[in-house]
Amino acid sequence: MEGGGMAAHLSVRGVSKRFGATPVLTDIDLRMARGELVTLLGPSGCGKTTLLRVIAGLTQPDSGVLELAGRDITRLPPYRRNVGVVFQNYALFPHLDVAGNVAFGLKLRKRPKAEIDASVKRALELVHLGALADRPVRALSGGQQQRVALARAIAVEPSVILFDEALSALDRKLRETMQGELRRLLRQIGATAVFVTHDQEEALTMSDRVAVMHRGRIDQLADPRTLYDRPATAFALSFVGQSLRLPGTVVDADGDGSMVETAVGQVRAPRRFLPGSPVIVATRPEHVRLAEGENTLHGTVTGVTFQGSRSVVEIDAGGAVLMAELPGRQALPDPGTPVSFGWPVAETLLFPAEEAA
Amino acid sequence: MIALLPPIDRDRRVALLLSGPAGLILLALFALPLGLLFAVSLQAPPGTPPGPSLAAYERLLTTPHHLGAVWNSVKLSLAVTVLTLLVGYPASFAIARAKGRWRSLMLGCLFLPLSASVIVKAFAWTILLRSSGIVNTVLLGLGIVDAPVRMIFTETALIVGAVNVFLPFMILPVYAVVAQLDPRLSEAAATLGANPAAGFLKVTLPVTMPGIVAGVALVSALSVSAYVVPTLLIGERYPTLASTIAKAYLLTREPAFGAAAGVVLLVIAVAIVVLSSRLAREGRA
Amino acid sequence: MRTAALAFSWAMAILACLFLLAPLLVIAAASLSPTPVFDLPVGGASWRWYGRIASLEGFWPALWLSVQIALLSTALSLVAGTMAAAAIVRGRLPGAEAFAAALVSPLMMPGLVLGIAMLQYFRGIGFTASWPALLLAHLVITLPYVARTMIAGMSRFDFTLIEAALTLGCTWPQSVLRVMIPALAPSFLVAGLFSFLASFDNYPVSIFLTDVRTKTLPIKMLQYIEEAPDPTLAALSTLILLGTLVLLVIADRAVGLSRMAGTGE
Repeated sequence: MEGGGMAAHLSVRGVSKRFGATPVLTDIDLRMARGELVTLLGPSGCGKTTLLRVIAGLTQPDSGVLELAGRDITRLPPYRRNVGVVFQNYALFPHLDVAGNVAFGLKLRKRPKAEIDASVKRALELVHLGALADRPVRALSGGQQQRVALARAIAVEPSVILFDEALSALDRKLRETMQGELRRLLRQIGATAVFVTHDQEEALTMSDRVAVMHRGRIDQLADPRTLYDRPATAFALSFVGQSLRLPGTVVDADGDGSMVETAVGQVRAPRRFLPGSPVIVATRPEHVRLAEGENTLHGTVTGVTFQGSRSVVEIDAGGAVLMAELPGRQALPDPGTPVSFGWPVAETLLFPAEEAA
Repeated sequence: MIALLPPIDRDRRVALLLSGPAGLILLALFALPLGLLFAVSLQAPPGTPPGPSLAAYERLLTTPHHLGAVWNSVKLSLAVTVLTLLVGYPASFAIARAKGRWRSLMLGCLFLPLSASVIVKAFAWTILLRSSGIVNTVLLGLGIVDAPVRMIFTETALIVGAVNVFLPFMILPVYAVVAQLDPRLSEAAATLGANPAAGFLKVTLPVTMPGIVAGVALVSALSVSAYVVPTLLIGERYPTLASTIAKAYLLTREPAFGAAAGVVLLVIAVAIVVLSSRLAREGRA
Repeated sequence: MRTAALAFSWAMAILACLFLLAPLLVIAAASLSPTPVFDLPVGGASWRWYGRIASLEGFWPALWLSVQIALLSTALSLVAGTMAAAAIVRGRLPGAEAFAAALVSPLMMPGLVLGIAMLQYFRGIGFTASWPALLLAHLVITLPYVARTMIAGMSRFDFTLIEAALTLGCTWPQSVLRVMIPALAPSFLVAGLFSFLASFDNYPVSIFLTDVRTKTLPIKMLQYIEEAPDPTLAALSTLILLGTLVLLVIADRAVGLSRMAGTGE
């Protein structure tokens, strides 16, 4: 389900926005296919919420073009865009009951009463709140309010549904349940959706593709698997998942990749850089084994954490603290033991040092 | 650019436009009249050369009769403030501690009199305190007095009535602070070895001070300018700044003198408010 | 010691409640007086004083004038005060805090001083019509009540609700009408109630702006009381009290007295 080609359902092209002198969004491009779920992931201040608001029409971009369902919506006010938004605090109307909130957008669209009632009922049943239609919204729990907000957004059958940190106010357990449920529901109704979150787990679980945002730009737009295995920048690497990272300098490069000199030894990586470049060399903890490998370094065990199906070993290698994630219940070294550890060259990532976050 | 956002977020002009009507009312019907009042208070008395003059102020602040009126206003305000504080401060603790229906009931007891007309309440006190009124009937019936006590048109009547009218203005600000007081504070003080009296003086009193200051400011500023209550409960025998102002405008037609009395009253009221807000700020620091 | 302190505070609270209610109960009792001298209705109540209210000289015009002035000044203050509150809470208004303080400041102003200042001012600009002068003066009386309540209400208002309404299909004016105003209804109610009562009960400002033919109800009442107090006035006062009580009950149902007492949420 790639968003390329002519058939993009939502297309954002060259969008930039400044608040005063501060650039918040710089030349953003994003194309989404119909029915696709995309997450904007990044730390606070990276511009993800601003991009969502630009798509919703709540913030006007300085430049760029937005198209939704074949229409140019760049200059359209929010009430003509046919978008649904689920806000972080839900923004339920306190003077209306549950059904009144869900019917709000339909009434504005001047649908016949019978049709409104049917749509409200359907939407509330989709979110399993059929029994609470005439409750005042103040009387609902956080999870229920979240569902009402969702029902209100989907009831108008919007061209795209936008979620602004919509799950972040829920406690962890409820959030995990809602993630699965939400994804199923959006698939079921064939919705196109954009999520904004700072929670990488949520991003990886919920979406077809993730856009990692950093300082007002999209660093990488990829499916969760690619994002994890082949992060495009040091920032994407550090923001998604754990990683082992060492600064170093390229000492040699050939057709197969580069050789990097670090403070604790030489490491080989498949990506090519000019000799002399300052770089960051990295790998994921699950690729590291407590044995010599294609790349091998030496250090001292400083800590061992047993986590059930796996164990995490902390290693001090010349001042840098690294982690190895070991599956199963193998025998583990005691803290203070000197160890050799290694990982495959193919799983070695290399980034220019100035990209570091 | 289209109006995508609440326009007020985008545009300072919209904010100015929105505040325009209220600002105009404030300027044209409040600031300008007060300015003019000040100018009038400086008018030279008839028969003297025109030009700014302090004659009206001199008359007000040197004639024993008028000085007495200023003192009467201040005295009334002091008495009412002290009495409402003595009753209102402990009472607000009980109201804050009360639960559910009891609290509603007691808040109702504050709000109904607060919303009731001052004239109606003052009138009620004239009925209560008459020689043949209820208070006297009770006193006679209990054998506490032999003959009806003259209460109406005395300072006692004035103070009782004024305390009655202004008590809610003391209780409400104190209550607002006390209700948010954490009861564990005094318990914490107790565990730290403070005996109850010390706990009150060192913890509860300082924490509730903002409420006390607000209540004192409100009650003293309101009672120093009371007019209806003294008029009905004590009358001519007790001239106040307020009655001096009213008389100068409604009877003797001496605008400069009335304006000067008005300015003095205003200065007293503003001084109370400014002083107390400074006190409150220092208390917090 | 602690128990004693608690008992003392309860005693004071009960005393305060009884003391505050006393004049109101007395008025109600005296309105049923069987004789013209405010006897308590011990031997038998009489409703005849209520019948006589209507025949008080000048009563109906005074009541009508007071209601008109109170309603109109409240309505105008609600509009002006709400707009100002929106600008203060939300807008990029220079000096917003000072403006808010200035809006509320007439609350602490001695009424009489405001009254003579108005009188001087209206005379000075040659504005002598009594009715409009009263209305304008009452704007200054009511505006602080509205501003105070609406600034508080507006700062609790979640402006994301407006954005939610916009994305659901509301234009900006529609979102104000359909979301902001209904959601702020409790604040409007409290503001309107206090503002109406402040105007309806005002004596010290009105007294300087009335003429022989234009007298508000409080002025008429004080005149009745000073000239010839009889239980008819107690009956009238009782009716006014009952009206106030009804307004308070409505406000309590809609908002809750605790929140009106400033300890909201």
